[in-house]
Amino acid sequence: METILLTVYVLIWPVIVAGVLWTVCRGFFKDWSESRKAGRNII
Amino acid sequence: MILFIYPFGKRIRAVAPKAHTLAEVMHARHGRSSQLMLAGSNIVGSVISLTSNFIAGGALVALLSPFSFGQGVLAVAVGVLMYTLWSGFRASVLTDFAQVVAMLGAVAIIIPVVFFAAGGPGMFTQGAGNLTPEQSNFFSSDAFLNQGAPYIAAVLAYAIGNQTIAQRLFAVREDLIKKTFVTATVGYGATVIGIGMIGVMALYLGISPTGGDVNNLIPQMASTYLGPVLLSLFFVMILGALSSTADSDLSALSSIMMADVYGKNIATKPNPKTMLLVGRITMIVATAAALIFASQQMDILDLLVFVGALWGALVFPVIASFYWNKVTNRAFTTSVVVALAVFIPVRFSWFSMDGVTGILFDILSAAGIGIVLGLMVFGFFGLKPAKIAGAVAALASAPFVIGFLHDYTVLTGSLVAYAVSTIVCYLMSVRSKQDFDFALIKQRIGDYDPVADDASNTPDDDLDGATLSARK
Repeated sequence: METILLTVYVLIWPVIVAGVLWTVCRGFFKDWSESRKAGRNII
Repeated sequence: MILFIYPFGKRIRAVAPKAHTLAEVMHARHGRSSQLMLAGSNIVGSVISLTSNFIAGGALVALLSPFSFGQGVLAVAVGVLMYTLWSGFRASVLTDFAQVVAMLGAVAIIIPVVFFAAGGPGMFTQGAGNLTPEQSNFFSSDAFLNQGAPYIAAVLAYAIGNQTIAQRLFAVREDLIKKTFVTATVGYGATVIGIGMIGVMALYLGISPTGGDVNNLIPQMASTYLGPVLLSLFFVMILGALSSTADSDLSALSSIMMADVYGKNIATKPNPKTMLLVGRITMIVATAAALIFASQQMDILDLLVFVGALWGALVFPVIASFYWNKVTNRAFTTSVVVALAVFIPVRFSWFSMDGVTGILFDILSAAGIGIVLGLMVFGFFGLKPAKIAGAVAALASAPFVIGFLHDYTVLTGSLVAYAVSTIVCYLMSVRSKQDFDFALIKQRIGDYDPVADDASNTPDDDLDGATLSARK
């Protein structure tokens, strides 16, 4: 039982990070696409 | 802890929408001494942060390539300086996306790979004997008091003391402040804890850092358990991640020198071209200073916790200055100076904590716990719940803290910095007759780039009161 909990404890963080990475990438490409359509700089 | 700063960020943006640095707002709110105090601590913090990143780069290069630590530090420093010098904050933002992908990608890919390459779940049963009883205790009070608690106190102070975070409060679109800081909290928290899992695995595997230097542990684990392709990927990802922090520090340092030193204290009529030159010279000088400090190869975590605790002295005076109209310039300056004067001797154990002295500092530490929790609650729920939470936290922790906590000097130093600055600032302000009008901040803070503004504004409208008076 302790081994399973420790495994989950170690591997849960990469899963959360992957979720954040997906959110950040989606937001970035959405902003990039909108700024290109509007003809302005993303920054 | 980044989460706890966003309600303050919304208030800061409402009070000073055109500001570039927190110190600039303190100039408008209080005057020169408060501004320079905050700017000075920002500079110290950013140089320390820059140094930490160069050390991390040097350690990584030394362990994973044929080059030495010194060559690694130099390569990282020159690389970051070149692109930041070329395009400043724009380069910092542009590279940030690639770097955040590298940083998060490293955690998402490398940790599971190292985990399974090192034996998977089996390492926890086979390696359990490598842990001391304290290390195998998930709720170890020793680990919490020596590292966890000082880090919590330090990170809360980061958002106030670290211009790299504060400048994002001013740069992020106002409607996205909450989303940005929530995402940053989850991402940053999971990344830092995730990287910490490499340390957990090293413990179970019985691996000690090369040369006893904990800075070497992560590259050492990577070189042991990753194949050539993933090792190269790891190398690039981590270099990208630490370059991201380093370029933010360079941008932050140049903002402070441009806005707070040149813009507010040297120039009577700030010239954007001269400001740019000041910013670029700052980047070169800061890089040179960080290179010298990095050659000392100090412990990165110790450096970051130290600077976080140093900033603890600023947290209450800065936050109170945005909400409480009675806080004076003298109260701000005195409280920060006194808190620093107490913090440094405590942190470096310059005197004995035996007997009554230890008890006195434990009482201050209990007050510090109440203040940290009170400030967190205040941002979200307001003054009354904050007072209740702070009082309950201080009283509930007192029996466990008094007579005991002073042995943990890192934590005591942090908590004392919070407590002393809060007590002094409160006592000096509570009877003050000042009734500051916060609307004045908006009028006093100018925009150095009037071209981008609404056409209805004349350039003079964009300059602050001090500049206008100097012109007259």
